[in-house]
Formats: sequence, C-alpha cells, structure tokens
Amino acid sequence: MERKEDNLSSGINPPGTLEIRHISKAFPNVQALDDVSLDIRAGEVLAFVGENGAGKSTLLKIINGDYQPDSGTMSIDGEQLSFPNPYIAHKAGIRVIYQEPEIISGVDVAENIWVGELPMKNGFLDRKTLYATVRKSLQEYGFDGILQPEMMGDQLSAAQRQLVEIMRALKSGVRVLALDEPTSSLSDDEVERLFKLVRQLRSQGLAIIYVSHRLAEILTLCDRIAVLRDGRLITVKPAAELDDHEIVHLMVGRELKDIFNRTHIVSDREVLRVENVNSRWHHDVNFHINAGEVVGFSGLIGAGRSELAKVIFGDLKKESGNIYLDGTDISINSPDDAISKGIGLAPEDRKKEGLVLIRSVLENASLVIVKQLTKLGFVNRKREREIATQFVDKMNVKTPSLEQQIGKLSGGNQQKVVLARWLAAKPKVLILDEPTRGIDVGAKAEIYKLIDELAGEGLAIMFISSELPEIIGLSDRVYVMCNGRITGELAHNELTEEKLLELSMVDELAESAKIKNTTEKVNL
Amino acid sequence: MKQNNQNESGSVNKKNAFGRFLDFIGSENLSLIIALVLLIFLITVVSGWVGLAGGNKFFTWQNLLNSLAQAIVISGLLALGETVVALGGFMDISIGSIASCGSVAAAGALVGSGAIGSLHIFPQNNVFFSILAGVVIGLIAGLINGMIVTKLHVNAVVATLGTQAAFAGAAFMLAPDGKPIGVVTQQNFTWLAQGRLFQNANVPALNGSKWTGIPVLTIILLVAVIIMHVVMRYTSFGRAVYAIGGNTTAARLAGINVNSMRVRMFMISGGVAGLAGVLLASRTTSGNPINGQGLEMQAMTAVFLGGTSTSGGKGTVFGTFLAVIIVGVLNNGMNLLGFNTFVQKVALGMLLVIAVAISQYRVLHAETVRKSSKK
Repeated sequence: MERKEDNLSSGINPPGTLEIRHISKAFPNVQALDDVSLDIRAGEVLAFVGENGAGKSTLLKIINGDYQPDSGTMSIDGEQLSFPNPYIAHKAGIRVIYQEPEIISGVDVAENIWVGELPMKNGFLDRKTLYATVRKSLQEYGFDGILQPEMMGDQLSAAQRQLVEIMRALKSGVRVLALDEPTSSLSDDEVERLFKLVRQLRSQGLAIIYVSHRLAEILTLCDRIAVLRDGRLITVKPAAELDDHEIVHLMVGRELKDIFNRTHIVSDREVLRVENVNSRWHHDVNFHINAGEVVGFSGLIGAGRSELAKVIFGDLKKESGNIYLDGTDISINSPDDAISKGIGLAPEDRKKEGLVLIRSVLENASLVIVKQLTKLGFVNRKREREIATQFVDKMNVKTPSLEQQIGKLSGGNQQKVVLARWLAAKPKVLILDEPTRGIDVGAKAEIYKLIDELAGEGLAIMFISSELPEIIGLSDRVYVMCNGRITGELAHNELTEEKLLELSMVDELAESAKIKNTTEKVNL
Repeated sequence: MKQNNQNESGSVNKKNAFGRFLDFIGSENLSLIIALVLLIFLITVVSGWVGLAGGNKFFTWQNLLNSLAQAIVISGLLALGETVVALGGFMDISIGSIASCGSVAAAGALVGSGAIGSLHIFPQNNVFFSILAGVVIGLIAGLINGMIVTKLHVNAVVATLGTQAAFAGAAFMLAPDGKPIGVVTQQNFTWLAQGRLFQNANVPALNGSKWTGIPVLTIILLVAVIIMHVVMRYTSFGRAVYAIGGNTTAARLAGINVNSMRVRMFMISGGVAGLAGVLLASRTTSGNPINGQGLEMQAMTAVFLGGTSTSGGKGTVFGTFLAVIIVGVLNNGMNLLGFNTFVQKVALGMLLVIAVAISQYRVLHAETVRKSSKK
C-alpha cells in the first residue's frame, strides 16, 4: 500500500504525464472503478492487467471520454482535463486504440489517416501531396512494407486497421496512447513490428498504456505493470520485479467468503455424459455430471463454455460426438428436444436470451411448462397460476404481483424468475450459464443457496461462471476450458484460483514460455 | 415481503366493478374507448356547432345496422388475422390479395366456374363447400407466406409484398379469362351478406328509425372476434405467439418451435383473409379478382391503432376490435357529414401514422420512466 502512494508523488513525474486521481465509476449493481489513482508517465509503457470485469475497459473508456467518471480527476502537467466525448479527448492528445478500430471502408488509407483535414488545391483534393506525406510518415515508422497509402479501407487486415488508427493518432499529436489487446489478431511478425513501433514512440516521449491478457508480451514490452481487481488498483510495480505467476496471483488474490455452504451429497449415479464432442467451437470435449453434483465450468470469456451449453441444449449444432442421459445415447436437435428429455438451460444473457421483458412475471415463469399444461390446445390457467406462485414464492421473487411486467423488476429478481421457470419444469440436468452476472450480493447468496438445495434434491447441475470464488465455493468438481478444449479437471479439494486461471490460460502461458525460450537463445 | 405480497393480492380480489371492467377490456384499451366516445361526440354534436349537417343521422338503426355494422366486417376480419401475425412480430401485407383469391375461389366453387370450379372437388351450389373453398385457398396462401419467411429467411414485409402481387395475379388466374364470377342468383350464398337475424325482436325505434335486425355479417365478425380472443388468450399457441413477438430467442430457448408457430400465424391470417374474401363475393354478388385490392391498408391501420406493438409481443384482439370500430365510425361519420372518399383516404392514412406514433411514444415513455426510477 505504501509503495502505491510512492508512485504518486507528482514531483518526480516527467512533463506530459497523465495523472489520474481518485477515479470512481459505478454502474447499476456494480462498482466498476473504486478510487483509482495512478500516473501514466511520459516515456514509459504501462501495462493494465486484471481478470474479466476488473475495470480495465472502464478505465480506458474514461480516459478516452466514452464514459464520464462519477468522481475523480485527470490532469496533464497540472492542467485539469475532462472529456465529455472521445473527440475532446483526441483534441487533448489522448487516444485509445480499441481492438476493432473504425475505418471508412470505401476510402483509401491516406484519406483515412487525414480524414477531416485533407490537403486541398483549388477546391479539389490534392492527392499527390497527400500520398507523399503519408508515404513519408509510413517510412519513418517502418511500416512502408505493410501499409500503402493507396490501399482501400475495406481491404485492410485487423493489423493494418490498427496501424491506420495509430497513424491517425500520431498525426494529430498524441501525448497519451492506449492500446487495447492490440496483438490478439496479429501474426508473430506483425507483433514484432508493433513492438518496435511502441518502443520508438516511447523513446519519443509518449505515455503508452498497454492492455493485454498475454503476460509474456507484457513482461517483455512494458516498464511498469498496474494490476486491477474488482475495480480497485491493487498495485503498480516495475515489470522487472514480477514474473507471470506472481501477476496471476495478484490478479486473483481474494478471500473466499463463507456465503458458500455446500450441504448436498453427490450420488454415484451418472446423469449426463458427453463424449468426444466436436463442433465449430469445440475440440474433443469429454465430461460427465452425476446426480446431486454441481460441476463448475471455468475459463476466460471466449473459451467456448456458453457455446458448449448450447450444443448440449440442442441450440447449436455439434459435428460429432455423443451425449448420454441416464446411460442412453440421446440425439438432441432442438431446445424443445432437450427440454422434453429433461435438460434445462438458464442462458448467459438474461435480457436478450432468457426473458420476454415486455410480458408478465407469470408468463415468463410458466414459459416452459405451458406445453405440459395444455390439453386440446388450451392452457390450464388455474394450474399454471398455482405452479408459478409456488416457484415464484420458493425463489422469493420480490414482485408486486404475478401480472407485473418483468422488465420492471431488478436484475436479481429477473434471474430468480428464470430459475423458477426451470424449477417448475423439473429437469434432470440444469445448465446455469453465469447465473449471478450483474446481480447484487444478496441475490447472489440466495442463488448459491438454491443451487446447493437443487443438488441436494438430486439434480445434476452444470455451473458456468467466470467468477472464480463462486466456482470454487460451489462446485464439487470443475472443468476448465481454454480455446474450445477442456484443459483440466479439478476435484473440490484441489481448487485454487491460481490453478484455475493457469489452466484457463494454458495456451497463453505456453506461448509465453516459447517466447522466453527464443529470447534466451538469442541472448546466448 | 411475503406479507406485502399477500396484502397486494388481497386488494386485487376486492376490486370494484370498474376495476373488473378494466381487467376485462384491458386497461391499455381504455384510451381506445375514450377515443371512440370522443369521435362519436365530434360527429354527432360538434359537427352541428360548425355548421355541418348530417351528424344527427348517426344514432339511427338505419345507420348503425345498415351502414356501420356491415362496413366494418371485412376490414375487421382482415385485421383479426393481421393481429396474430403482428403480435408474433411480423407483418402480412398480402391479405388483401388473399381475400381476392378467396372471393374468386368461393364463387367459382359455388357455380362450377373458373379454375376452382373445373377441379370438380367441391359440390356445386353448396354454400358450405363454397366457404370451405375460399378458406382453404387462404390457408394455402398463408402456408406459402409462412414457408417463404421461415425456410427462405426472407423479411416478412418483403416476402408478403412479393406475394401480394403474386396472389393478386393468381386471383385473376382463378377466374375464367380473368372475368368476375356472378353469384347473384345464389340466394343461399348472398344471404351471408344480406341476411338479418333477430328481425322480429321487440326493440324500440331510435330517432324514428325502426329496428331491422342484426346483419348476419356482423354476427360472423363478432363470433370471429370471440374465437380469436380465446385463441390468443387461452391456448398455448396464443401464448407462444406473444412470447415469440416479445423475444424470439427466449421463446426458442424455452422450447417453443418458433418456425412452426410462425407458419401457423401466417396460415391464420391467410385463412381469415380467405373467409373475408368469401363474404366479399357474397356482398358484391360476384367473385371478382379485384375485390380485395387495398384492403390490407385499413386492416393494418386498425391493428396498430388497436395498440399492437410494431415489433410484436404486445397488444390484444379486443384492442384491434375497438380500433376497427373507430376506423368504421370515422369513415361512417365522414360519409354522413358529406366528406368525399378522397378526404377519407387522407384521414385514414393520417390515423395510421398517428396510431403508430402514439404507440412509439408509449414505448419511449415507458423506457424513460424505467430509467429514471432506477436512479
């Protein structure tokens, strides 16, 4: 903590340093940033690292003027800055390059870079001067090989688009440049060139923010590393004092709270078995879940967990492999199939995929069971209301009436209605995809308790979550996924956040080891 | 909280008569009833203040039974079918052309003329099979619409714009050499449009005009309204339509077979349009391929005026019915007051835009309320 304060004595900062002081930003139900203060020094590359949802993107968006902070200040050389929109931030010399920069597709590279201030001659575009200027600056930065001024915007690769955006920034006299996951779509060769550019810009005195999941890149490129967790700045340390395992530890380092109470007992009876499943998103996935078992699925966003849930649920197609329910090989072609065989899915995005927001609590709660309550086309509305009332009460949903439009309830209560819907359907396997995302702590605790109860009643639960504490606290067993594969299986007593994160970053860590080896060889 | 729940549900049970009335018509339809009352007030009272004559004829049995109650039937039926499609989040603009097909098919089956008559599958001079022919043609047209939308993934407006032209042409192909099929001698058939029920009921005269019985047409519309209301409110199909219109993905992930429901939606709107075509043939005593032309316009006006959301998922059959009456009263009143049909067309077009603007305002207003209540 003291070290953190040491970093903030603005006297030692070189001119051109972006000083961020006490920035906080809250969204409904979540404190995205909590009193963050740090310096982005001119002439250095500063890395932002943290888990999904740690606050990196929010901080970038505040720096870029996309969001306004609830409190706190930003300044350069004592000059107070506030950015109502990105345009003002750009004019002040601050620019964030996002993963997918916006390029005008019908216009060439030169015009894309100079858009807004094109050189004119007699009222017409002076293409000759424009191309000459752009070619010169491309040569200056060593990009004449991969980017020509004549290339059209819609023919550019992701890497080239990023370069265009960077050139735009350089042209307008940028002082603080932030790169958000810049290498995720680049080849090794392109990464090398980008690093060369970043080092060149650093030596010219720019302050550079580098956001990435790739620890190896961060350790080779960056001067200091800022670790964010749960919206708070945990530490800022020189890169030389850290290694990748230490960074991972700093990223997760949380205490488990005792809101997890596992009282259910796992049975020996296997309910769901998935064998050698391949799909557009998956490679040879194998796992099983027993009756009364909560099986966690951990991994980074994009690892293929939600897609796996939808493949099992019949909403996405599998290319090969078998799914067994109670020992029988079943084929599932649609969610309807899956439901009739006893599988339920509470999807990841409650509002987009789970609820009919403009309809009532009652209709949302009974959406799945309506079919079972229908005779000769008519719904037994009395029975429907009884069952809905029973499960809405069981879930302790706070609503003025069953007729209430569900879109008007809080996120936690909405999620409880989704769960009530599935409880009413009495499935054998229940897939919960991020069931606690965006809901408050109280509702979370209730949902944890319910998951435990459901397992106690013999349900097999596939529990997908990006929050490590809840995965560790609730799961009897955990599968970790990375890039569409299952990279590890851990029993409850083997679970630690470090292990989970390492398994979910297996590919990234392997790459980092590879780069380390090659640099060592070069040094020899 | 539980305590609280019980209190609130307790108060629901103790609702007064007005509350129960509101529950029955749906509180969102109250504004339509107010609009209807205002409109009638404009026609009957205000028109006199500005010197327009004819408003006093509105409340006569002659006007209510002979003009108004019959005029709303065809567009009313079309609007009922369109409501189902609109609640499911789509639009069917081919219903006018389908009505033309139904009209020619029914007349053709009845007198054994045209393409349908030459098939010899429907016995001639039989009103039941004539109606059946019109409805079946409508169902087939709806099936085609549904298949184009679900299997070929064509946007519903574009798909039914295409079939609107195609079905309009098909109506001419069903008729012998494209000419209308006269059914004026088929009195059993023309009774559908001209017959009256309860003629001998003892109802007092209204403004000196005698009770003449309720048109069979109007009874057909009322029965259709009740059936459609029941379908949308009490069957699993109706519930699925609301869910699909409200959130297609959520409906699919809850096990609803979205495509099959969509095909059924279009078949209902097609079948009902076919029936409307049959009644058109009866009313005009001719199976004419131009019978249904342009009728989708009035029907869609009524659907959106009736409170059905343009994106689906919200709205009621009863709301559409009220809107059908409003549109009917507007046309009827303008007739009585001596406005020509061109002015009526302008008024109808404006009404459609205003109706949608009001429903958009409601949506936006609801969102701002939600946002500000969060803060």
